[in-house]
Amino acid sequence: MSALRRVALVAGGLSTFGVRAATWSELVQEAGAAAFRDIRNFSSKDVDSLFVGAAQPERLAFQSHVAPLAAELLGFEPWKILQRTELACASGQSAIRSAYAAIASGLSDVAAVVGVEKMNLPSMAEANTSMANVLDRTWDGVHGATAPPFFAMCAQRHMLEYGTTSEQMAAVSEKNHRFANTNPTAQFYSKQFTREKLLKLPMVAPPLRLGDCSSMTDGAAGVLLVAEELARKYTDTPVWVRGSGQHSHFHNLSGAGSLSTWPGLRAAAQEAFRSARAGPKDIDIAEVHDCFTISEIIEYEDIGFCAKGEGGRFALDGSSDLGGKVVVNPRGGLLGCGHPLGATGVAQAVEVLQQLQARAPAARQVQGAETALVHNLSGSANVHSLMIYGREN
Amino acid sequence: MVALSESGGNAAPASSTVGGPSKPRAEALSAEKPPRRNDPVPDPLPYLLDFYPQEDPKYTRIAPFFDALRKGSFTTTRCEEDGTLSWPPRVTCPVCRGDRLAWTELPRRGRLYAFSAVLGGAPLGMEQDVPFVVGLIDLEGVPLRIFSRIAHTRYEDCHIGSEVELETFPLPDGRVFFRFRPAGASSPKA
Repeated sequence: MSALRRVALVAGGLSTFGVRAATWSELVQEAGAAAFRDIRNFSSKDVDSLFVGAAQPERLAFQSHVAPLAAELLGFEPWKILQRTELACASGQSAIRSAYAAIASGLSDVAAVVGVEKMNLPSMAEANTSMANVLDRTWDGVHGATAPPFFAMCAQRHMLEYGTTSEQMAAVSEKNHRFANTNPTAQFYSKQFTREKLLKLPMVAPPLRLGDCSSMTDGAAGVLLVAEELARKYTDTPVWVRGSGQHSHFHNLSGAGSLSTWPGLRAAAQEAFRSARAGPKDIDIAEVHDCFTISEIIEYEDIGFCAKGEGGRFALDGSSDLGGKVVVNPRGGLLGCGHPLGATGVAQAVEVLQQLQARAPAARQVQGAETALVHNLSGSANVHSLMIYGREN
Repeated sequence: MVALSESGGNAAPASSTVGGPSKPRAEALSAEKPPRRNDPVPDPLPYLLDFYPQEDPKYTRIAPFFDALRKGSFTTTRCEEDGTLSWPPRVTCPVCRGDRLAWTELPRRGRLYAFSAVLGGAPLGMEQDVPFVVGLIDLEGVPLRIFSRIAHTRYEDCHIGSEVELETFPLPDGRVFFRFRPAGASSPKA
């Protein structure tokens, strides 16, 4: 470990997320303009590596071999590592983790990352087919389930075992939608949701209502990661990768265990904290994967922000809100921003960069934030990926 | 991930740079949902949109699973070296990696560990089934919890612990698959 180089996050930006009148390629261009146009001392020729996080371009945009396409769209000609990463909902973080590994190992000095997904299609049934194949398609997806019924079963068990309530889940959704109202790039930037309104929305997969679920979203985001000795060429305020962890626990749903506890998350968090020499109490901001409200509640518990079974109360009493123990999902989360699979993990990193540089919009800036955690789950919460970033290395 | 969202419809910029300028590009945002197509669903579905597995021994090494299913038997593989019981059926053991696997009969009954319902957003070719129940089933007497469609019931009529039993059903092209139904329920003839 001591041989690894330190890696800095120095720039980032994103397209507007939503139901966009824009193609996959146009979204990549927007993210490129936002992320890579105004970096001090930066030339496209500096970029030796490009990592493209994209979950299902073959199914959703009918395009494969997307890494060289993205390189062309972004004006890069990488000569060290060019690669597309796929890890379903965590494809974006997977790209960042790959860039981190490439720089830390010494293979790359300057790595660009772009994450992108185009999910709103003229035929949503085809898009839904491509959500069900994230599960084991032969034995689980074949029964017609996409993500909502799986996470609904997690909610059902968590409610049974720990007394978690619909009101507590609505508190998560209200918080994240309220944060999204500070974020012009969020899908639900201009929509207001009270807890009362959220509890009246129609069921999607009981007990989950529409407001408990993130959306099918179009969007893209980009970041630039560089080796330590180059960090201050590009910015006076680099943000450092402090550690990371990842765990793959099962794939077929027969391995899902209790549903109310996610052992893979506990293992991945433990490794992330160990490698960052930090613990849950050190985290000022957490960008966690609230694909569903119940996900954020289980994540509070299994990352270690609160005791097992206390996640619902942690949301309801404001512990995860501004002024609480840890500010969770200040950009608006997946619930408020939408969830373009490949872009989400990169957009979370952009928020962490803004927050730790103290450049987030005042309405959501966490004062004095030093350390931030990013978490993505993928599929049926069978894989968990975490990164910890710090203002100080 | 639900296909029921609305576009923001705001006049936000199309992109945002950290600490940099952002210019309004309202024209890039559609205030309306894009037009949706309701194309007729091809029958049979194109191969890469069809979830049901290939069952013929020309395509798969677990054809005996489907042969047994056609006769009403629910089976999987057990490793003859170390006894590992797998679901789904495999061609090598995940523990010892040996390939001496034997077919073994599974119980046809179990109890719901958890369940929900699909009320929308079903894959192509399954939209006509909505609403339908899905659940995780603890099979009787074996340490397996498997996911399945729960047919011939409503979400409101299911409970954790409800007893369910296997049902096989034919696909139009002669393949066969399985789902579960409440124990004792008769299978309505299509």
